[in-house]
Amino acid sequence: MPSDIRSFFGGKPAAAVEKPPPKAEATSKKRGRARKVVDDDDDDEVVTPKKATPKKAKIPEPEAQETTADDFFGKGRKPKRTEAVRPEVKKTNGVAKDTSKNTPKDKASSRAKKDSTYTGLDVDEFPDDMDADEGGDNFKSEAKVGRRAGDDYQEGTDDDDDLPLLPTKKRASGKQGKAKAEDDDFEPDGDVDIKEDDDFVVPDVEEDIKPAKKPIKKRKAAAIDSDDDDLEVEEKQPSKKRTSPLKKSRQTTKPKMVTGQHEESAEMKAIFDSIPTVNAPEPPPKAEDGAKPKFQYGAHANSATPADALDPSQFPQGQENCLAGLTFVFTGQLQRLGREQGQTLIKQYGGKVTGAPSKKTSYVVLGDDAGPKKLQTIKQHGIKTINEDGLFALISKLPANGGDSAAAEKFAEKQAKEEETIRKAAAEMEREEKARLAAKAKTKPQSSGQAGSQSKGKEPDAPDNRLWTVRYAPTQLNQICGNKAQVDKLARWLRAFPKNQKTKFKMPGADGSGTFRAVMIHGPPGIGKTTAAHLVAKLEGYDVVESNASDTRSKKLVETGLKGVLSTTSLMGYFSKGAEEVEEGKKKLVLIMDEVDGMSAGDRGGVGALAAVCKKSQIPMILICNDRKLPKMKPFDFVTYDMPFRRPTTEMIRSRISTIAFREGLKMPPNIINALIEGTGADIRQVVNMISTAKLDSQNMTYDESKDMSKAWEKHIVLKPWEMVGKILGGGLFNAASQSSLNEKQELYFNDHEFAPLMLQENYLGTKPQRANKYQGNPKMHSLATLDLVSKAADSISDGDLADRMIHGTQQQWSLMPAHAMFSFVRPASFVAGTMAGHQTRFTAWLGKNSNQGKLMRMVKEIQGHMRLRVSADRNEIRQTYMPLLFDRLVRRLEDDGKEAVPDVIDLMDHYFLTREDWDAIYEIGVGDNDMEKHKIESQAKATFTRLYNKASHPMPFMKASQVLAPKRAPAKDRPDLDEAFDESEDDAPPDDVKDDEEDNDLSKDKYVKAPMKKKPAAGASKKRKSKAADNDDEEEEEEPKTKKGKTKARAKK
Amino acid sequence: MALLVDKHRPRTLESLTYHPDLSARLSSLAASGDFPHLLIYGPSGAGKKTRITATLRALYGPGAEKIRIDSRVFLTTSNRKLEFNIVSSNYHLEITPSDVGNYDRVVIQDLLKEVAQTQQVDLAAKQRFKVVVINEADSLTRDAQAALRRTMEKYSPNLRLMLLANSTGNIIAPIRSRCLLMRVAAPTEAEIMDVLAKVGKKENYKSCEDLERRIAHDSERNLRRALLMFEAVHAQNDNPSDKTSIPPPDWEALIGVIATDIISERSPARILQVRAKLYDLLTHCIPATTILKTLTFKLMPKIDDGLKSEVIKWAAFYDHRIRMGSKAIFHLEAFVAKFMRLYEGNLLGMDIDFDD
Repeated sequence: MPSDIRSFFGGKPAAAVEKPPPKAEATSKKRGRARKVVDDDDDDEVVTPKKATPKKAKIPEPEAQETTADDFFGKGRKPKRTEAVRPEVKKTNGVAKDTSKNTPKDKASSRAKKDSTYTGLDVDEFPDDMDADEGGDNFKSEAKVGRRAGDDYQEGTDDDDDLPLLPTKKRASGKQGKAKAEDDDFEPDGDVDIKEDDDFVVPDVEEDIKPAKKPIKKRKAAAIDSDDDDLEVEEKQPSKKRTSPLKKSRQTTKPKMVTGQHEESAEMKAIFDSIPTVNAPEPPPKAEDGAKPKFQYGAHANSATPADALDPSQFPQGQENCLAGLTFVFTGQLQRLGREQGQTLIKQYGGKVTGAPSKKTSYVVLGDDAGPKKLQTIKQHGIKTINEDGLFALISKLPANGGDSAAAEKFAEKQAKEEETIRKAAAEMEREEKARLAAKAKTKPQSSGQAGSQSKGKEPDAPDNRLWTVRYAPTQLNQICGNKAQVDKLARWLRAFPKNQKTKFKMPGADGSGTFRAVMIHGPPGIGKTTAAHLVAKLEGYDVVESNASDTRSKKLVETGLKGVLSTTSLMGYFSKGAEEVEEGKKKLVLIMDEVDGMSAGDRGGVGALAAVCKKSQIPMILICNDRKLPKMKPFDFVTYDMPFRRPTTEMIRSRISTIAFREGLKMPPNIINALIEGTGADIRQVVNMISTAKLDSQNMTYDESKDMSKAWEKHIVLKPWEMVGKILGGGLFNAASQSSLNEKQELYFNDHEFAPLMLQENYLGTKPQRANKYQGNPKMHSLATLDLVSKAADSISDGDLADRMIHGTQQQWSLMPAHAMFSFVRPASFVAGTMAGHQTRFTAWLGKNSNQGKLMRMVKEIQGHMRLRVSADRNEIRQTYMPLLFDRLVRRLEDDGKEAVPDVIDLMDHYFLTREDWDAIYEIGVGDNDMEKHKIESQAKATFTRLYNKASHPMPFMKASQVLAPKRAPAKDRPDLDEAFDESEDDAPPDDVKDDEEDNDLSKDKYVKAPMKKKPAAGASKKRKSKAADNDDEEEEEEPKTKKGKTKARAKK
Repeated sequence: MALLVDKHRPRTLESLTYHPDLSARLSSLAASGDFPHLLIYGPSGAGKKTRITATLRALYGPGAEKIRIDSRVFLTTSNRKLEFNIVSSNYHLEITPSDVGNYDRVVIQDLLKEVAQTQQVDLAAKQRFKVVVINEADSLTRDAQAALRRTMEKYSPNLRLMLLANSTGNIIAPIRSRCLLMRVAAPTEAEIMDVLAKVGKKENYKSCEDLERRIAHDSERNLRRALLMFEAVHAQNDNPSDKTSIPPPDWEALIGVIATDIISERSPARILQVRAKLYDLLTHCIPATTILKTLTFKLMPKIDDGLKSEVIKWAAFYDHRIRMGSKAIFHLEAFVAKFMRLYEGNLLGMDIDFDD
């Protein structure tokens, strides 16, 4: 089927054309197709092949002839294909192991990799400076290439051969699937996972693993029947794990593959072989001068999803769990696959993803700009490196459950072990349950600890109607997931408590907990803090007195309420055995104070009181909270012994969850459980709740369902403004591949609708717009495209501001918020979204600038108010025309002439009624050349200025009404000065003088005075005023009516 | 020691140097005893306020020049206290309602009613009515203007209004119809030069015609600015000549820098730098519309003729947006981005269409 594409490139005779097709891609494709219904696939996969095929097909062309010959040999040899492959494998392997020999192989694969770019050049007119050396590379490695091509060819043939077979295989597996349902024997397929499934399906059967072996054989036989040649079959046999004889034989015959310890079956090997590897670039030489090239985080941040990522629908469909046992490491930026997507993909198929490569890593998925350290490790261990194509090939080729590869076997073994423990645990549970029921039947209080926690059960026959979280609460210390050390510590502390009590808490003990009467357990919700506390108390033989957020715990209640508890012993022991002697262990009490950080406003003083109680309690106290760092938890510092509980790892929880699922008859493969656990942030309680919900729907759950479910149950976290903007701009939400809906993008805005638009506006210029990438080749066009996008984004932000005005303006149209979200947040981001590499997300400057503007605006207003008697200009005119000149005359003079200028400056200021504060404002308000940063005034001049200014009195045009304290007589408001009549003479004196005189009189008499010095004489003017002066600020004290009187008086005097 | 612009301000209608017909009409109005409500409009620095002061003097005599500032507290309906400054003489008051923003209606209602309901008690006063001068009348809100209209008629025996505005555009028609409209046009450059020469003579500055002409030109026919520039030049140079450069105001210089920045590099990173400067201007109380206008005219000489109409169009567009919206920087930045995009497209001689 791919022949059409190939012929398109090759234009060779059909046969020849068909052979050379790119080893990896073609193979992978075919396999993938084979898995599916053969015929349909052509259409589906056209997209991928297109890209891949041209790249690889083109270059090998010259060698193709050679290859074809080879090919034919290969074909002839076909039945012995495995042998043919093996030597080669050996070689590769050797190469991989031996770094010195690395080069040839590297080259080959580098060729393969670079070819793609090369061909890319022709087709997409990639501006590639590399093509020159690629060509060189090609030639150099021509021999190699020939070899490779032959190699390919062989594989090609394989594929051809397989083609008819694969469907059969598929059918076989389908059969297996069906068989699974009916025939237990048939299904196990040699894989633990399936076995596990088995178990889930038939929970009552205590199966052991042995039966698994047999079915394998059968399956094998089936396989033989259906398709493969003998050899392959032989090789398949090793696939059964724990078939030791076979394994041995395999070891002798075959070189080791992926894990290096086990040999692979030929089939698996062929598959692994056929995976197109890329060669890892040389790790950057360790700089001799010791200057380590700095890894710039910024350049790698936010680059989670590449620009032209594939649509998830284009991902290959693999067999279930096919990556089982393989470990992957991602490094660098992949071309067509987001890292997260890749990791999800691998997890979905049962593979494992780790952070850093090591010996155990099966594959490194390599992208551009891989970390130097990782490259180093790769080189050191000779780890296989693949790219997305390789990963897809793996997924589409590997059989279910990882086939029979060594890694998968190991994995299966592990799984089996886990399985075993789960079953044991389940049996244990079963036993407990029975014991409990028995106890219940006898209606005897069960105190044996284990079943004790489940004491409030139901009647023996009634269905168990407790919550799962209660039903499956741990009953033994070893059932607690994670935090083992802390739990042990807690138990130790509790055990030592009576002893410590005797020593009056003077001995710290081994872990320093001996001096504390209380411990504080803190950690995130759902990880078993309360459970652990109760369990430990129970196991240590304490009676629990619990208080939690449902009780009021104010200071008073804590003090009085706890008093009764703190110095008493439990009566439980007295009643337990009736009239018989007191059970010693039951006299002890422990106080568990749960949800301490839940002490809220209603619990005033509770925390302090509790902390005080902790200091003198005679019974052990266990305090539990989520967040120890809250300020309100401060009183507990040094009072309690802190025990941080951490989230258990996935592995710790998984077995427990599996046990529960097993007991409930739910079918849950580990990767699904993993997804649930990871999705909830290791919240055990939530996972249990989730599976209990899932049980209601069905008996099993798919990976996607589990993902959806954990997403739906996701605790809603309000994103910080920074995260919001990073997500919308750099989070790949606008990729073609992205699945996020418009609504989801809008949701981001509503995380914080006030900051979202501001943050976006602050940061939208920091991206490299992905939509401009198509003009990457032409810098001019690219910059134009970028500007166009930026301009559109800015326009949209501007639109958003109009919407914002409607919301926050007089109209209060809050229903426009979604529109605002679109205009101000989503739409701009849609233009400029792209990598934010090299851009540090900044906090919005608008808020600061706005408040600064407000402040300066008030200053200008003040200045204008002061100047008003002399100047007719409004605020803006003052700022724009007067300020520059005033700056010259007031600030620059002082700067240039020093203190000599001071009298002049003060004179001018007095004329315009400017105060010392106004001077500061004028100084501050300059921009550009008049920026205050550029004008440093000698401190001496400034000091002189301040001193002289304060020494003299200065005219003030008016008082601020707000600073007039409550007038003793009628408030100013009631009696506007205008209504007052006072004798006004039409002076003949020139108006200027009159005014000045008048003002001077006014001002001095009325204490329109700034300087405190001046106040006293002024105050003397009138007694009333003096009393007022005492009340008021030194700056202003005044009241209209009085002023008027003062004025009148002044005038009268005159 | 006052600045020249205030020192040499004409005090009487007779001493006004330009618009003689206007002066004549005002003096005859003042003499007639039947003084109408006035709406005086014209650009800044044209002499509106100076004419009003002179008219008041003509109405009441020198007593109208004895002004003081009072501060009053008004209570809004929501019990918010508003502080409000009133400049007043015995015969008139002068208010700037835009000082209190959206609460100007409260001030207009309370204050005007209060004034209007009181009769002139000073028997010696030449007129029976008081004059209320309302500055920046074009920034009165609709509510305040509505509050004004009835007051103007009802209390006309005791109260005359003089509204000062830059343009009548924002003043509602009912008010316009109740007022005598009087336009004070900006002085021509020749008139400004005339004034400068006179002032220079009074100050004993060496007359320097070319310098004066340049100042008159640079002042954009704003006499206040011209006088301040005139003083600035003389303050910075003891002996200015025709060649002396006229320092532009600080903010204008900065906008010039922005314009150069925009032209010299067009990239998102440059927009970020420009944003910082724009913020600088805005925080330092330069109105966004002034920035936009100045910037546009600074950019004009640097671009192709073909682009000019487009740029002007967008400048007007964003100017409107600035008035409609609340966060000026967003619109200014959008203009800068738009300009860069147009300029770049023009430079490359091609266009790009993203409507895919």
